[in-house]
Amino acid sequence: MQDPSRLPNLRPKGDNADPEDLPRHRNGITPQMHGRFPDYNVLDETDHWDEVTREVVLDRVENTPGIRFFTAEEAATLKAYCDTITHQHREPRIPVLSFVDEKLLKGQGDGYQYADMPDDGTAWRLVAQGLEYSAQREWRASSFAGAPISTREDIVAVFADGKLQGGPWEQLNVSRVFKLTTKHICQAFYSHPWAWNEIGFGGPAYPRGYAAFGSDHLGDREQWEPIQATP
Amino acid sequence: MSFMHKGSFAMPKDNDSPFLLDRHKRGLQNLDRMARYPKNAPVDLLIVGAGAGGLVLAQRLARAGWKVCVLEKGPFWDPDRDWVSDEKGSSHLYWTDKRIIGGDDPVEMGKNNSGQGVGGSMTHFAGYVPRFHPSDFEVRTRDGVGADWPISYWDLKPYFERVELELPVAGQDWPWGDPHSYPHAPHPVAGAANRAWKGAREYGIEMRVGPVAITNGVFGNRPHCIYRGFCLEGCKVNAKASPLITHLPDGIEHGVEVRADSMAVRIEVDAAGDRVAGVTYMHDGREEFQPADAVAVCGYAIESPRLLLNSTSARWPNGLANDNDLVGRYVMVQGATQVAARFPLELRMYKAPPPEISSEDFYETDESRGFARGFSIQTISPMPIEWAAHVLADGHWGAALREYMRDYNHWSVLGVLCELLPAPDNRVTLADERDQYGMPIARFDYTQGANDKANIAYAKKILQEIWEGAGAQDQLTIDRYAHLVGGCRMGFTAEDSVVDASHRTWGVENLYVVDGSVLPTQGAANPALVIMALADRCAELLKAKRSARASRSARGARRRAGAARWIARTHAGLSRGRGR
Repeated sequence: MQDPSRLPNLRPKGDNADPEDLPRHRNGITPQMHGRFPDYNVLDETDHWDEVTREVVLDRVENTPGIRFFTAEEAATLKAYCDTITHQHREPRIPVLSFVDEKLLKGQGDGYQYADMPDDGTAWRLVAQGLEYSAQREWRASSFAGAPISTREDIVAVFADGKLQGGPWEQLNVSRVFKLTTKHICQAFYSHPWAWNEIGFGGPAYPRGYAAFGSDHLGDREQWEPIQATP
Repeated sequence: MSFMHKGSFAMPKDNDSPFLLDRHKRGLQNLDRMARYPKNAPVDLLIVGAGAGGLVLAQRLARAGWKVCVLEKGPFWDPDRDWVSDEKGSSHLYWTDKRIIGGDDPVEMGKNNSGQGVGGSMTHFAGYVPRFHPSDFEVRTRDGVGADWPISYWDLKPYFERVELELPVAGQDWPWGDPHSYPHAPHPVAGAANRAWKGAREYGIEMRVGPVAITNGVFGNRPHCIYRGFCLEGCKVNAKASPLITHLPDGIEHGVEVRADSMAVRIEVDAAGDRVAGVTYMHDGREEFQPADAVAVCGYAIESPRLLLNSTSARWPNGLANDNDLVGRYVMVQGATQVAARFPLELRMYKAPPPEISSEDFYETDESRGFARGFSIQTISPMPIEWAAHVLADGHWGAALREYMRDYNHWSVLGVLCELLPAPDNRVTLADERDQYGMPIARFDYTQGANDKANIAYAKKILQEIWEGAGAQDQLTIDRYAHLVGGCRMGFTAEDSVVDASHRTWGVENLYVVDGSVLPTQGAANPALVIMALADRCAELLKAKRSARASRSARGARRRAGAARWIARTHAGLSRGRGR
């Protein structure tokens, strides 16, 4: 992305996103195997991480939790929702819903509940019901998960505006539940090392630390940090 | 053996904490020497909450010979063992038990405003420790809004100075408020913050490096900062200050006992109700009681009011020290909008501490802006999950979310802290729902006033103009809040406040509130330093009071011991009665 006029806020409305312009990832994994740093695998750096951090982060990559909180039906709908929010339409995918399910199963809240909202677990279940309700009633689809990507994106666009209504949505503050669910989705997606490969984030940094953060001589990139590709 | 001589230049007096730590291990090294006070005899002071207020108070009074016990809801951290260099893996540092949030502009709780565990929220604060300005203590007189404090800047100044030496604070000479300097030199500034500085300069805004509570030089056995950027995830280096390492090691050496994993649920009063007798708390699923000569509540803006409101008795049917329905009112947050800016070259803002440079050019009232009081400007560098929250807030999901996320390394972020004014209906109450301890959870209602909205809108516009001046190619904005203070405000009379100028609650002789909840106004400064300074001052007042009391007759002591026995008996009876 050498041309910032291609960023979503700046390009003409309706113009396509850029992932297909991105280089194919060559070292390790990114979601859908594209990114801006094709030769960067943060998992090559694990020897430089402290033991406790290494265990926590590698567990995320190696042990995907099973779906235990959601029913199979809810999971099918919500997996399609997570894929739409994170634009993951082919493998390899970060298994976002598995991490959301684990968080809800363990009752790991973020510290608050809006007075006009149910608890987080109930809110997620109502979203599953609500997406099916809207997909079938208003978009005449067989199901949310079975609908074409463009239909799912149309539904989510109305969800993002807080304007889905009827059925299960009446039990929710629609704008707030969009914010709640997208927050949980991003917590899962952007805590995963595959996403760090895609965006060129340095990952855990103890005990090594950093020296190259803007001085005239060292610049902004450590020797081990990735070089950004020119698409 | 240390290479640094105690008491030499820039080392604090009467606090050996930096020497009691190990250079290569981060956990406390003197836990085997920690006092263990019996539960059948009163301690001199029982503190609820091991954070910025509680641990400074504990260390100071233990130095003066008091038997001090601290109850802390969360764990006793060992940073080597318990903390990780990872954003998601650090959620156990935050108070994530549920609170209900309401009002027209609800405040989301947890990660960015509530901590748990020994060290409190400072274990995961960014590190900014600005002083309040002299004007902050007389807002009502100067600007006709908010409230005046019963103390002035000059009452607190010696305590600001003393705590700055203990943290220690690194920064440039400070030109704003009461101009002052800092014990450690400013840290180097990263590329992302340099962009912000350039924009500010174009605009004519002064910025300075710091002030941050992060070592930048030799300081006992605390290492130098390694610029890894994970300040909000708990400092695994021991370079960033929290009272876990700046005050507790010395406190333990002088007789402080900290009981971790101990959640205070009720403060008990004696038969007449004008004195407290101790605190009932939950530990390992059991109810325990610790008698005390005095109790200091240091649980911060949500938990301190919650504990007082839950401590009802015949004398205090609406909650302890709550005769005038003031407990839980006037809770404040700062408007903390952030604007991110895109630049052609990579900046990699995840490196170096997120707190780098700040400006207090807009701190004071300027009538031409159309609102009272002001705001400060600071750099903030979000890690990927927080960056995603920023992108989501600007309205992007799906492909656009992924695109802005992939562009992470090109962005720099500036934030503001707007002084929002205290309002009586911005308050903590008890909800119907109960938590795992059987205690009613807190409900926090918050609504912005017209002055607050004007302040936030103006501050946001300034940030956007700074970035335009810096040549930003694109901007993304998130409206949010930061910090929490108020709820047990300090004042002049029982009719206008919960505590007096010495932190003592109106109507209860031996009950104190010593934390951020006593602040009548919040300024546009981060609250950590003022909380520590207030606790330091409160300790001085208590010490003086104690020496005056030492000359009292033994009859008083017998009466207190009798009261403690009475409450211990009554309490045992109550416990049995409640058992089902």
